Amino acid sequence: MSNPRSGRLGSAAADLRAFGAAGMKEWRLLRRYPSLMFGFLFWPIVLPVAYVLQARGYAGDSTAALDAFAARTGTSQVAGFLFLGWAAYMWISMILWGPGTALRTEQVRGSLEALFMTPVSRLVILFGPLVSQVAWAVWMFAIVGTVLVVFFGVAIAPLEALRALGVIVVAVPALYGLGALFAAVVLRFGEVHALVQGVRGVFTVFCGMSFPIVLLPGWAHAVALALPPTYLIGDLRSVLLGSSALVGVLPDLAILLGLGAAISVLAVIAFLRTERYARRGGSLASY
Amino acid sequence: MSGHPMEPVGRTGRRASGPTRGPAIEAVGLVKEFERGRRTIWQRIRGEADQRERFRAVDGVDLRVERGEIFGMLGPNGAGKTTTMRMLATLLEPTAGSARVLGIDVVAEPREVRRRMGAVLSDGRSVYWKLTARENLEYFAALYHVPAAESRARVTRALETVRLTDRADDYVERFSTGMRQRLVLARALLPDPEILLLDEPTVGLDPQSARDLRERVVELRGEGRTVLLTTHYMEEADQLCDRIAIVDHGRVVALDTPTGLKRTIAATEVVRLELSGGEPESAVLDRLARGGSIAHSARENGALNVTIHCRSARDFVPAAFDAARATGATINHVEVVPVTLEDVFLSLTGRALRE
Amino acid sequence: MPGRSALKAEARAALAIARKELRIAVRYPLNAVNEVLQPLYQFLLPSLLLGATFLVGGRAIGLEASAGTSDLAGFLFLGMIVGGLVGTAFWEIAFSFKREMDAGTLEPAWLTPTSPETLVIGRAISGLVISGAASLVLLGIGLFVFGASFSPGIWLALPALLLAAASMIGIGYLVASMVLLLREPSFFVDATNFLFAIVSGVMFPVVVLPVAVRWVAYLLPTTYALDLLRVHALGTRPLLSPALEWILLVLLALGTLLLGRWVFGRTEHRMRVKGTLGQH
Ligand SMILES: Nc1ncnc2c1ncn2[C@@H]1O[C@H](COP(=O)(O)OP(=O)(O)OP(=O)(O)O)[C@@H](O)[C@H]1O
Ligand SMILES: [Mg+2]
Repeated sequence: MSNPRSGRLGSAAADLRAFGAAGMKEWRLLRRYPSLMFGFLFWPIVLPVAYVLQARGYAGDSTAALDAFAARTGTSQVAGFLFLGWAAYMWISMILWGPGTALRTEQVRGSLEALFMTPVSRLVILFGPLVSQVAWAVWMFAIVGTVLVVFFGVAIAPLEALRALGVIVVAVPALYGLGALFAAVVLRFGEVHALVQGVRGVFTVFCGMSFPIVLLPGWAHAVALALPPTYLIGDLRSVLLGSSALVGVLPDLAILLGLGAAISVLAVIAFLRTERYARRGGSLASY
Repeated sequence: MSGHPMEPVGRTGRRASGPTRGPAIEAVGLVKEFERGRRTIWQRIRGEADQRERFRAVDGVDLRVERGEIFGMLGPNGAGKTTTMRMLATLLEPTAGSARVLGIDVVAEPREVRRRMGAVLSDGRSVYWKLTARENLEYFAALYHVPAAESRARVTRALETVRLTDRADDYVERFSTGMRQRLVLARALLPDPEILLLDEPTVGLDPQSARDLRERVVELRGEGRTVLLTTHYMEEADQLCDRIAIVDHGRVVALDTPTGLKRTIAATEVVRLELSGGEPESAVLDRLARGGSIAHSARENGALNVTIHCRSARDFVPAAFDAARATGATINHVEVVPVTLEDVFLSLTGRALRE
Repeated sequence: MPGRSALKAEARAALAIARKELRIAVRYPLNAVNEVLQPLYQFLLPSLLLGATFLVGGRAIGLEASAGTSDLAGFLFLGMIVGGLVGTAFWEIAFSFKREMDAGTLEPAWLTPTSPETLVIGRAISGLVISGAASLVLLGIGLFVFGASFSPGIWLALPALLLAAASMIGIGYLVASMVLLLREPSFFVDATNFLFAIVSGVMFPVVVLPVAVRWVAYLLPTTYALDLLRVHALGTRPLLSPALEWILLVLLALGTLLLGRWVFGRTEHRMRVKGTLGQH
């Protein structure tokens, strides 16, 4: 204990344990509310299917319309294109809802103050709830992949799957950074629901869940290029549907990592400021 | 358990509303059975036998509440007080037995009953936070079928009764717990009810607000209304109620005026002793029993705690010291208190009201 | 035998509920804005942009083949209005029982002489007012921003919307019963609301549905209301003969209202026996 080095190590280990505990708590919550589990099975399938059906309506029996789609998106695999877009959308929703609501619930319940008073690192509080969500992301992409292969005849080779995994891993810092940033903002201003809707809306409109971003007008295209989900979706489609190698999307991945670093730093700053604000006696978002 | 004499209430000088036909509330053999545990969808699909255990939350309650009295139900957690209230309030259908409110059957004509009754029950202690107090009451007045022409006056009067007139146009989210509780009481007054059911009206209130609310309840009786309330606080029951039913395990174990209940204990004072040493224990207790009756004794951390009911502590305490000396025991601590409903409960059930 | 004055009292109670809901809605202005914006960004823009991916020379020739109109925006905006109607039944009528239960304000309402059915009707009034207003705003946006164009015949389909609204009150009773019975109804409501809306053809012409699912579509009042709306406003090919659709719409409105009221009554009774009325 007297040795500062071992103290720091000990506290890091304790933080790690706290991380585990936070993840465990989330996991228990999911098990307690089976409807959440149903949701994780239902939405990754039903939401994309609705858009696939819509695409069927747009195509009619016209090959010209299908050709137009292929020309604009670079693939003729409509289902694959849509499933990947919406899978990314749902992953992002999960990331936005999870930590934001988790922290907010603690705040409303009054247990956040207690959490602040424990010696646990602020990073654990901020990123802890995200840990359990990794499992769900894996689960969701697995479902989406299975449905694509089994029902829509999309061939996914093992190597392609690995590349997709690579893209997903590279996207993690950026997306989780967004989640944390979002949580900090929610804590300060409340209104999780409206905020999630708004942010998700921005992503849906700009990041190309259901369409290629080349369709967007110039200014909107520029906005799209500043948002991490755009790269995630675009690159997933390239490696899985366009059989492009990871090298082909390397510049994109570098941007994604850069955005990830920047957003994470921003999130930590925002969170610390929120906390300081609370400590100076300004109450956080009132319920 | 019936059979207790239901003596007419002794208080006088109260205006009874309407012709005094029969009691305000009358329950006969009221029973409510619940199922404990859940039957999962899996168990249903596989057609497994129903493993849920049925138990009686209310097990044959007979009550007769006279018009114009404050009648209390006192009992420990899970005794079945709220369940009884919910049956009288028509929110719950009895498994067996019958109940009439102002002569109207609660199962056959629930809406007629609701028209004449105001209730504050434990789960519905809430109002709309984004509305003002007045807006809340106007809304509920319409639900109580208060005629449009009367609504304003009725709301204003309810607000006056609970002393909220000056905050009437504030959003409820800015109210304190006590004010919110009073607003909920005001809501129950909207139908101008002859009968009020209040389930633990003062729970969660600070002593000042609780006293204030009790005063309101007494005023309501003054207006000729009948109040049936439940409580955990025996002081509250003692002060407020004309008559009290002590409820345990879904049954009424005693029913009388507070004084009458306390009279069932042949004592006026209770002495609590803490002794050490002295044996055998039975010898100590035998000696002590000469001066009063031993209600309770238990050993804790080597010390012997004894509760004795006696006519006069002035006589008993010196005798107790003599008894201790004679058996080689030492009295470490003496406490003398007047008999309370708690002691009545203890002597009836062998358990304390609050565990 | 409810007398006239009793009916009048119930009507006043229903209006009071609607007024209360509207008051609260107005006090959360952000939600009101969301009411209009959300369908735009959550449904309309992604659908429109996906549609744009299939355009050939600026024309939606595929949609023309499957639905009989190339007015992509018009097609989707009308779908969105019916989607709003569906959402009203599921969320504003049915799920609001859960919200009130959580807030502890359901039991006090249940303690009044007002009939539980009136609690549903009151919410239906406010819900329809809100979704009606949002629909008008959205239609305006469709017309002036997205270049949808409707034939004046659209007014002929208004009764179809009203019949569908009546039907959706019946569906509201049914879903409300589920909300009262389930411990965690939000997933159920969310999922069934979505399925109900898309199977009615909100996002695409019903003919693209797999045959088995299309039969479900034929059972939904909103399928016919939306079809008639599109037939009159855009000249799409009707699903069945319009006369038959009108008849089915009337029958479905009556059927759902009767069934819904019956189920809701049974549910209330069951809860009164089990002791879960107003509790949670
Ligand atoms: N809806 C229900 N389903 C199953 N059991 C119930 C239900 N409502 C109450 N109970 C059970 O019935 C018993 C009596 O409960 P009740 O609420 O009437 O007690 P109480 O005397 O009001 O207690 P308290 O002082 O804690 O308020 C308890 O064991 C309770 O768990
Ligand atoms: Mg109780």
